[in-house]
Amino acid sequence: MKLTAKQLTLCALLTAMALALSYLENLFPLSLAIPVPGVKLGLANIVTLFALYALGPGEALLILLARCLLGALFAGNMNALIFSLLGGLSAMGTMILLSRRRGLSVYGVSVGGAAAHNCGQIAAALLTLGSAAPLYYLPILLAVSLLTGGLTGLASACLFQGLRHTDLMKG
Amino acid sequence: MKPSPKLRPTVWDGLVVLCVAALAVGVAFFQWRGGTTEALTAVVSVDGTEADRFAPADLLEAPRTYENNGYTLEVALSIDYEHPASSALPSSGESGLRVARSDCPTQDCVHTGTISRSGQSIVCLPARIIIRLEGGTPEDGGVDAILG
Amino acid sequence: MRRLALSLLLLLLLLSGCGGQVSPDEAQESIQVIAMDTAMLVTTYGEQSVPAAYACEDTIRDLEKQLSRTDPDSAVSQLNAAGELELGELGEELIPILRAAETYRRETDGAFDITVAPVMSAWGFAAGSFRVPSQAELDGLLELVDGSAVGVEGRTVTLGPGQAIDLGGIAKGYAADKIVKVLREHEVPRANINLGGNVLAYGDRPDGTPWRVGIQDPARVGEQNAFAGVLALTDSFAVTSGGYQRYFEQDGKTYHHIIDPATGYPADSGLTSVTVAAGLGEGDSGTMCDAYSTALFIMGEKKALDFWRTWEGTPFELVLVTEDGRVVVTEGLADRFTPDETSGYALEVASR
Repeated sequence: MKLTAKQLTLCALLTAMALALSYLENLFPLSLAIPVPGVKLGLANIVTLFALYALGPGEALLILLARCLLGALFAGNMNALIFSLLGGLSAMGTMILLSRRRGLSVYGVSVGGAAAHNCGQIAAALLTLGSAAPLYYLPILLAVSLLTGGLTGLASACLFQGLRHTDLMKG
Repeated sequence: MKPSPKLRPTVWDGLVVLCVAALAVGVAFFQWRGGTTEALTAVVSVDGTEADRFAPADLLEAPRTYENNGYTLEVALSIDYEHPASSALPSSGESGLRVARSDCPTQDCVHTGTISRSGQSIVCLPARIIIRLEGGTPEDGGVDAILG
Repeated sequence: MRRLALSLLLLLLLLSGCGGQVSPDEAQESIQVIAMDTAMLVTTYGEQSVPAAYACEDTIRDLEKQLSRTDPDSAVSQLNAAGELELGELGEELIPILRAAETYRRETDGAFDITVAPVMSAWGFAAGSFRVPSQAELDGLLELVDGSAVGVEGRTVTLGPGQAIDLGGIAKGYAADKIVKVLREHEVPRANINLGGNVLAYGDRPDGTPWRVGIQDPARVGEQNAFAGVLALTDSFAVTSGGYQRYFEQDGKTYHHIIDPATGYPADSGLTSVTVAAGLGEGDSGTMCDAYSTALFIMGEKKALDFWRTWEGTPFELVLVTEDGRVVVTEGLADRFTPDETSGYALEVASR
């Protein structure tokens, strides 16, 4: 993958923003309400969604990996890496698939991504805890993901609206 | 090649939302139907402290023995001799376990026979060993305690 | 747009607030204790479930240290050996329990008597070396059976000459009463305590329905989940005494462990089991249920029901299983008793 200086800058900028959003959502820890380790709002999915449209799947994946690694490094908690990686990757995969469907708007893609994100988190919890207990939280998490997905979809829609006349969207 | 995103919700978005909601309801229904999702587990406590924990199917490989207070108990998977083929595979029916052999004087543990459901237990007082089944699907009409 | 975003965020926060209240029933602790010659299962719920469960175990172990007949250092063993005991810290519980035993002996006209211990020993039920004693031997031992000769003065307990006591028919019920206090102190919302056949159904089940307590079918002892019926209990004690619980066979005859203090022989009253149930009450109904289950088993169906009809103390209810295939339930329990269809018993309801 060859990146132009502009694309590289944009990637770096988006990674930094994703990290900032991850930090921000730690201020409203969803895991306090739903006590499954590693469960998050997934605000950083806004960045993944944006990168997907503005840059492409490859770049979006790069940003995701950098964000997860750096986030775990900053938090000093490598245990959290598997949670953010599994959550982020499943969200990413789902959003790539959904974004190819022409009929869907950012809202649908975002909700699908959020739901996949939570499924990934639960999968990580199942793996690390070695118990089926976290599955118990899946229905409520999926319900919550409808809201969080709608919220990130709304944020993304506003973002795209604001950036419509810049050349960012044209690559 | 970047598809320019649609910014207004479409009917297809509704479909995604419906799918996620259906998945949530489906999983919840499955859990409600199946009770706890924990598998049936045998918990062995020796002298009041937990000594072992295993799935009854683990006994397929070999029986397990526990020693305490000078006595030895051998715990084995129960084979239903009327339908040996069905119970050899624990997934296809009741997988029970029993104390197959014990050198304790009362032999109560051996006489207790097979336990197969959550909450049931085999007690060997001379050896001070309790084998109890936990987890699994709660049985209809099951009781919380037994008098007598 | 901004307003919509704000209200969405607010909704989300509200939702997370609701999810934050973890139900106290999620917390649960289950421990098994082998004590008082039986297996005990203590299951407590709520935030304090873990400390409460271990406090229950401490209570049981402490009582066993004082009341055991098999532990030679226990207060009861020392008393039996010396015929007299000056109570130190160890025998603290002996005074209230002896007082209760004497009350129940008088109320049951001697059917419950802790001084039947020498007769129990002659049958081998204390040591586990069973034999059938001769009539002459029993006649001699029966003269020692007299609970009124047990004296408590200040902190000194005395037995009559040659006497010994066995608290096996009352200790577990007494322990259950102590455990109720422990559970109340820890503000446990619900618990399911099984002290080897003495069941304490504290509060209700986590799903809000009564605890389901199965009464073992005496005719199908070897089978698990073979019940004469199931009791639905909340905030109650229930104790079952039955000849099937401990017995031995000699020359084709079965001898069980509930010795009639009047004859010195295993009680032959036409009953195969007696279950006594009572509400938690003021704090002694567990002891009462335990003592009465033994006494009423010895009395037999007619005397037991008469005893129940004329009783004016703490209310209790009965489930009697008879040798001739009937289950007799007293009217207060009738709507909380579900007979087991596979048992084949005929159900009767006794009224006052």
